[in-house]
Amino acid sequence: MNADTKTAAVLIASAVLFLALAAAFQRDLWGRPAALPAIPLVDPVFTNPAPTRVSAADLKRTGGDMTDFECNTCHELNKPGNLRFDDKGQVVLPKEHGELVMHHGRNDRNNNCFNCHNPLNREELLTKDGHKLRIWESTRLCASCHGPTYRDWELGVHGRMSGYWNRALGPFTRVDCASCHHPHAPIFAPRPPAPGPHPLRPAAVPPARQHASH
Amino acid sequence: MNDPASKQNPAWAWSDPATVPGMNRRSFLRATVAAASGLAAVAALAPLRELKNFTSVDEFLQKHYTELTPEEMARVLKRIEDEVEKQYGLRPHVRDYKPMNGVEFVYCLNLTRCIGCRKCVHACVAENNQSRSPEIQYIRVLKMPNGTFDVEKAEHNYAPESVPEPGFYYMPVQCHQCKNPPCVKVCPVKATWKDDDGIVVIDYNWCIGCRYCEAACPYWARRFNFTAPSIPKERLNPNMSYLGNRPRQQGVMEKCHFCIQRTRAGRYPACVEVCPAGARKFGNILDPDSEVSHILKDKRVFVLKEEVGTLPRFFYYFEI
Repeated sequence: MNADTKTAAVLIASAVLFLALAAAFQRDLWGRPAALPAIPLVDPVFTNPAPTRVSAADLKRTGGDMTDFECNTCHELNKPGNLRFDDKGQVVLPKEHGELVMHHGRNDRNNNCFNCHNPLNREELLTKDGHKLRIWESTRLCASCHGPTYRDWELGVHGRMSGYWNRALGPFTRVDCASCHHPHAPIFAPRPPAPGPHPLRPAAVPPARQHASH
Repeated sequence: MNDPASKQNPAWAWSDPATVPGMNRRSFLRATVAAASGLAAVAALAPLRELKNFTSVDEFLQKHYTELTPEEMARVLKRIEDEVEKQYGLRPHVRDYKPMNGVEFVYCLNLTRCIGCRKCVHACVAENNQSRSPEIQYIRVLKMPNGTFDVEKAEHNYAPESVPEPGFYYMPVQCHQCKNPPCVKVCPVKATWKDDDGIVVIDYNWCIGCRYCEAACPYWARRFNFTAPSIPKERLNPNMSYLGNRPRQQGVMEKCHFCIQRTRAGRYPACVEVCPAGARKFGNILDPDSEVSHILKDKRVFVLKEEVGTLPRFFYYFEI
């Protein structure tokens, strides 16, 4: 085979190869990697840094509607109420307060309204050592029983902090007890979790692991 | 094939054999085949057209972070602002935050308080401009049964109706900003290093994407951009830092940097501010009155994988 034959053979072979490649790319014969399914954006509720609740103190600070805390519209001042208890020792809530839940304490035994509320003036709170507090000063009432937690809260160790860790550069915010804990049911209520990590390809998670998460 | 005409007339010519003297049938065929193969080669290389976003000359010639003069850094920041504006249509504010004097950061996480809601994960993604699809997340929340501590058997794809689930606890893991960081030791190009305030940072323009650091990290804290990150324009955080949350490019490593753009400006990180349970605590360990100083004094803190000798700045603790 002389040089010219070789040249022709190489030219023809490369032409055939390139033509085949071009056709293959054009027809997408072996396929591009399929576009991965788009991962939905997370609901902004999961990136919202606002506290879980709006406490009476928050309402007062922001000028919100405080009518829920005007107890003396119905209750008479200086007249102690009569609490009724069922045979299990649980307080019987009147129908006007039917929406209240009484889950303060792990054993649900802390169910006497006047453990915290002033029996003579329901718009006030009354500590066991006789300090009268307004309804938006409830953090001090919590402190009267939960001493170590209050100490931690004052140091910033318990509860939420936001703003500036460097006090010289700006303000910080420490929220009140009732901004996270419901006073009548202080344990954090279960809530839906934000979506977990999406694997690059859904099938990459072995079925056993998926099952284990439920 | 030995015909003299083809030797006198090179075959690589666009010509009509009928009008060009000396062009015979064979040389015409050869020329046609050559031209066709050239065109086919161009077509066959067409997928290369999909390559875009070439590195600019300025970026290619940029020096290492520690060698940049303030003027050069100002030019680099301006170039990054231009690039982000071009890509996202939004003028960001990119700064190079330096460590503060007398500050060493420490992070504490109260495992008794954590409810596993993963709000920290997504607040972090939003603050730090992480890729949404495919996802890059700096925080991984592990779910483990009460009374166990086997992170290898922990579950991080949990998706129940509501958390916390009875009988389980949750342990978020992110970069521990080690004092003895294995990721820094293995980096062949010094693209990652430990700053004076304890944060282990990455220069995304210096990283070559070898992923040694990812392999070295015992906390699975480093994330690699296998594809170009995709961030919706309306979710871009325009408050950016050079070593922190500016958009990354394909092929570089990234990880938690304690929200440099916030913490080096005196603010709390995004994960601390969003935690609904107040489980996350952050501050300056050199300040004896900071939250983290009180926690390290009063609580029984521990570190993850103490035995590997990484000396993390990230402490966990349980309490009643």
